[in-house]
Amino acid sequence: MSISTPLSKNPDVSWRSIEGQAVLVHNRRGEIQILNSVGTYAWENFERGTDTVAAEIAREYGIDVNQARADLDDFVRELCEAGALVEGHAQVAR
Amino acid sequence: MLQSVTDLRPDLAHLAAAPPLAGSERVAVEIGGVGVAVEGVPPVLAAALRARYGPFLAEAPGAHTVRVFRGAPKYLDMAPDRFIRIEEERHGEAAVLLSHDFAALRAAAGNRLLVSDPDDIKRTERAVENYLRWVVADLVLERDGLVLHSAGLARGGAAYVFFGPSGAGKSTVTELTPEAAVLSDDLVLLQRREGRWEALTTPFLGTYPQLAKDTRRFPLVGIYRLRQAPEVAVRPLSLAVAVGMVLACCPFVRDPGRRSAALVPRVEELCRAVPVRELAFRRDASFWNAILDSSRSLLTGHN
Repeated sequence: MSISTPLSKNPDVSWRSIEGQAVLVHNRRGEIQILNSVGTYAWENFERGTDTVAAEIAREYGIDVNQARADLDDFVRELCEAGALVEGHAQVAR
Repeated sequence: MLQSVTDLRPDLAHLAAAPPLAGSERVAVEIGGVGVAVEGVPPVLAAALRARYGPFLAEAPGAHTVRVFRGAPKYLDMAPDRFIRIEEERHGEAAVLLSHDFAALRAAAGNRLLVSDPDDIKRTERAVENYLRWVVADLVLERDGLVLHSAGLARGGAAYVFFGPSGAGKSTVTELTPEAAVLSDDLVLLQRREGRWEALTTPFLGTYPQLAKDTRRFPLVGIYRLRQAPEVAVRPLSLAVAVGMVLACCPFVRDPGRRSAALVPRVEELCRAVPVRELAFRRDASFWNAILDSSRSLLTGHN
């Protein structure tokens, strides 16, 4: 799965942001993921495009935009491997 | 060598067509205000269930009733690692629970528990217990509560709940606190009543003797995630981490029907109302000093 493939939140994952951290519940596997503040920002906003999100993260944290993009790509791959993100444009209710 | 798995996953027709057992007795239990009645029970099984659930027996009609039937000789295969498999499925609005020797259906048309070997009383008792665990986990959500894999201990009129995965030390902290009233060393019901969270016991079997459990309600003053360590310490957790850790120890989080839609906000309410901390402990009772010190710190504003 390449990062350029359209991705959306897996409808089998329930999630809730709590004081800036997202708690993800993989309903079919019964697994829980907790994202830090940067990961939560990416999770909440990645449908706007990883370039946009990476630029915002770079600006917010004062880091090189290429590094932010590389880190974001790694994070998206992790979410895909964990099943939290799936291919497709489906809009998922929170 | 890989082992093929040949599960019998019944459809609704199978679940609806099962023959009843030769029995007409009824055994009802009440747990945290939730009443569940098991009907169509043969006398020998009824006697066994009454002995098993003694302090929890109820006379009033249950809010939820389930009838027992004879099922197929086997449902799910045993896993290669020999762990018990219990799996939940959704069939439209109906929910099905499957294990090796029972299948259960919860549906508007009626609730059914199909047992593979009704003459094996111990196996059938376990099937009833698993059904009760399943249905109570949902019913208490409708009554401002949740069930948590945890040990519940009451000291000084207040409840302390200790949770974590299998092997974290729930039974150990129970053994290390002989002076406490024990709610459970396995599953505790946490329920909000009149704006206050309380802890109470459940009839589900852990290693602690059923008849020795304290059946009173206690105000819940602290929830501790267990971690065995050389040094004793109490560490605060962020709200999100607390919610995630508590969720991971709720039974039946794995649910294609998205039980989490009701459970996650309930857990957040709990974690906002009751301090949730990590407890690093070793195999002695010194952890109680750390708990009491941290509680005093909370009251004085020093964390």
